[in-house]
Amino acid sequence: MPEATSADIATCESEPIRIPGAVQPHGFLLSLDRRQLATGAADAPVVQVSDNLHAFIGMEPAAALGQPLRNVIGGAADLLAPLLHRDQPRHRAGFLATLTLGAGADRRHDGAAGRSQFDVLVHESDGLLVLEFEPAAGSVDASLHHLYPLVGDFLNKINDADSIVEMSQLAVNEIAALTGFGRVMVYSFDKEGHGTVLAECLQDGYDGYLGQRFPAGDIPRQARELYLLNRIRLIQDAGYAPAALLPPDNPLTGQPTDLSLAALRSVSPVHLQYMRNMGTLASMSVSLVVDGKLWGLLSCHHAAPRRLSYHQRTVCEQLGQILALRIRNRADADELQFRLDVRRVMVGLLGGLTQGTDFIENLRSVMPDLLRFARAGGVAIVIDDRLISFGDTPDDQQIRDLAGWLSLHSHEDLFHSNHLSAMYPPAAAYIGSASGLLAMPISRIHQHYLLWFRPELVYTIDWAGRPPNKQGGDRAALTPRTSFDIWHEAVHGTSVPWHDAELELALEFRTTLLGIALERAEQMADLAEELGRANKELEAFSYSVSHDLRAPLRHIVGFSDLLMETAGNDNPERRLRFLANIKNAARLAGKLVDDLLSFSQMGRAALRPVRIRMGEMVNGCIERLGPDTLSRRIEWRVDPLPDVIADPAFLQLALYNLLSNAVKFTAQSDPAVIRITSERLPHEVVFHIADNGVGFNMDYVHKLFGVFQRLHRMEDFNGTGIGLANVRRIVERHGGRAWAHSTPGEGAIFSFSIPNNPPPDRE
Amino acid sequence: MLKPILLVEDNPHDLELTLIALERSQLANEVIVVRDGADALDYLHMRGAFADREQGNPAVVLLDLKLPKVDGLEVLAEIRGQMALKSLPVVMLTSSREEQDLIRSYELGVNAYVVKPVDFQEFVRAISDLGIFWAVLNEPPPGSQRYVKPQ
Repeated sequence: MPEATSADIATCESEPIRIPGAVQPHGFLLSLDRRQLATGAADAPVVQVSDNLHAFIGMEPAAALGQPLRNVIGGAADLLAPLLHRDQPRHRAGFLATLTLGAGADRRHDGAAGRSQFDVLVHESDGLLVLEFEPAAGSVDASLHHLYPLVGDFLNKINDADSIVEMSQLAVNEIAALTGFGRVMVYSFDKEGHGTVLAECLQDGYDGYLGQRFPAGDIPRQARELYLLNRIRLIQDAGYAPAALLPPDNPLTGQPTDLSLAALRSVSPVHLQYMRNMGTLASMSVSLVVDGKLWGLLSCHHAAPRRLSYHQRTVCEQLGQILALRIRNRADADELQFRLDVRRVMVGLLGGLTQGTDFIENLRSVMPDLLRFARAGGVAIVIDDRLISFGDTPDDQQIRDLAGWLSLHSHEDLFHSNHLSAMYPPAAAYIGSASGLLAMPISRIHQHYLLWFRPELVYTIDWAGRPPNKQGGDRAALTPRTSFDIWHEAVHGTSVPWHDAELELALEFRTTLLGIALERAEQMADLAEELGRANKELEAFSYSVSHDLRAPLRHIVGFSDLLMETAGNDNPERRLRFLANIKNAARLAGKLVDDLLSFSQMGRAALRPVRIRMGEMVNGCIERLGPDTLSRRIEWRVDPLPDVIADPAFLQLALYNLLSNAVKFTAQSDPAVIRITSERLPHEVVFHIADNGVGFNMDYVHKLFGVFQRLHRMEDFNGTGIGLANVRRIVERHGGRAWAHSTPGEGAIFSFSIPNNPPPDRE
Repeated sequence: MLKPILLVEDNPHDLELTLIALERSQLANEVIVVRDGADALDYLHMRGAFADREQGNPAVVLLDLKLPKVDGLEVLAEIRGQMALKSLPVVMLTSSREEQDLIRSYELGVNAYVVKPVDFQEFVRAISDLGIFWAVLNEPPPGSQRYVKPQ
């Protein structure tokens, strides 16, 4: 266990870690009243001391209280005084000076050189100016000029490291070499606060923890807050006897003295016992703060007491800061790279989704990409009664039940959990495939879901002994544990958590997906409209067959009956007329059948568009009309016409219909004048066929292009009433329009447009 | 003065056959022929080419369903929508028994709906019956005159 973690198991949330009322005894503490500095710090009275004062300067703590600082630490006070006058905020324990204190220096403390040399730190706490004095020498001989190049060296190395693990390894190596701690490791907290050991550096005889995870509960909230405030903590000797403060409470406020920022802050006796039981007598932890959050810890252990001077600790703290900065840069870059990767998968997915016409089949084809997109083990799509699943998923009924639950309990655009069974107990039956769920509704109207499943990730917590809060015992009795056998705890029912970037991109994916679905819906609506029109035409077709085909049959029968009745009658003119009528009706019936067939073919045959020279096509039609117009004077005025892209057979039929109509309805005009002109518009070409014939009443223009609609008496202008219906059908299949305009008696203009780019033929 | 029968028929062959049938029913009523729905409405409204015709509604309108410009159903709707015409007996004549036409005709208040029989004898009988029923037997709306068949 890292020190910090074990410490916090021992100090539960209620433990007063900020106000222990004592300091570690390797240094001593003196407090001044900040308001009494006016006449100089050397003359300011000491208001609080640690009761180990005598061991360092030979003065009884009680005797020191109320004395000017100069009387307690001698002439050194005059060296400190100017430094204390600087009016600067002291929200961290700051280094003031290294001083030699006078007679009475206790020889029990370190026999190393500079035994009477003290580093003096200062910080403020509730009106107190807290001075901490600690021996200036550590267990390793490291002077400032030796320490600072280390920092520069580390900076160079860490810049070459590519991954966070590599950087962490460099840091633990460096700190192990610098401090001589037997075990140095870096561990990081995930989103839930669980810790994972990323790197460690071990001396012989120290157990490794690399790769192990520690649950978030190890570090109580109060400890996390303290670790943000005070970024380095050292316990030099777990066997110490705390030096109590005199008086214990802050003499200015009467409240317990807040030692949050004190380097000498004494830790919980429970934790000390815990460390002794564990065989760890020295520990240090350095906070790794990234973006204002406790990202992880640099944690050091040693089996024997270790002393580190202020400067040594400061270098460790700086190494920690450098590591945290690099981690932040690296994490940003990693995050960016991760997002890029996910986005790349998404773009591929979307490409796949627009391949075919069946949206669900498209989804089916991109299942492997869907898995990769969310780093999931299984994926399922629920659309009405259809359920498609891929990979490792719960069974169909379980998925349907889950979708039903989601529809009732989640109204967000995205639902995610890495511990589904905690929210939805039935999921406990399939934690193996779906401990984690990312679900998104993919329809705004229906309960359609896209579900990603992540498998259970069983992780084992290897405790250095069963921690007290896992023993089920009485929490109030904080007793240090004595067993350090590795205790495994397996955590079930959770998956790898969903990454922020995955959630964000899933939302983006959903938006795009809905866009595609919407477009699909529009296409469906178009198709439905087209089908509806085709259906209407079919109805009109059958309606016409029953009406218009029956009429000639009835006429044939009728006139035949009449013919037979008049057999004995000698009215040859009348009989001839009946015969003519019969022949006429029979011919009309035949023509009706032909026209109806061509009309129905118009709807079925595929278009084969090519480039057409309209001028040539018009002239061809005029030639074909020639035999019927021999006896007439017709003035054709054909403008130069542009080329179009269209099916030549169909377009010729439409053109022929329009030109023959023009010929037909100009029968009474002499000369008939028929003009063919065109207009080129940005997206289409419009052709006009204008005649000087009888025209039609604009009141009935809406009926003009319907099947079997006639605006004239049959004997005036023969025809079956299909021609214009054909024209409209052909033009519309090319994506164009057909319309007409007329003033009765002055002729008519029939127009149609052909788009520059005909749409793909859907029929 | 007998009221005329208004025959609305565009097809020349149907017209000829219908006129022969009416002739055989020996109705004394004059038969007015118009060739499309627009003309039929002009006649009934006494406008256009018929602005100067004699006053009064016909005894019955024999109306073909499929007509150029304004079809039979549209003519029927117009008749039923006009105060002066709404009580006018209208018989729809058609080539086929299309359910949609039948339903629509009755919805619009047609008095009878007749599918023209293919057999000519039957056709003659149907037209004759219609003429006699609507022009002779039927009690006409108030203000109309009932035809008494000459003995």
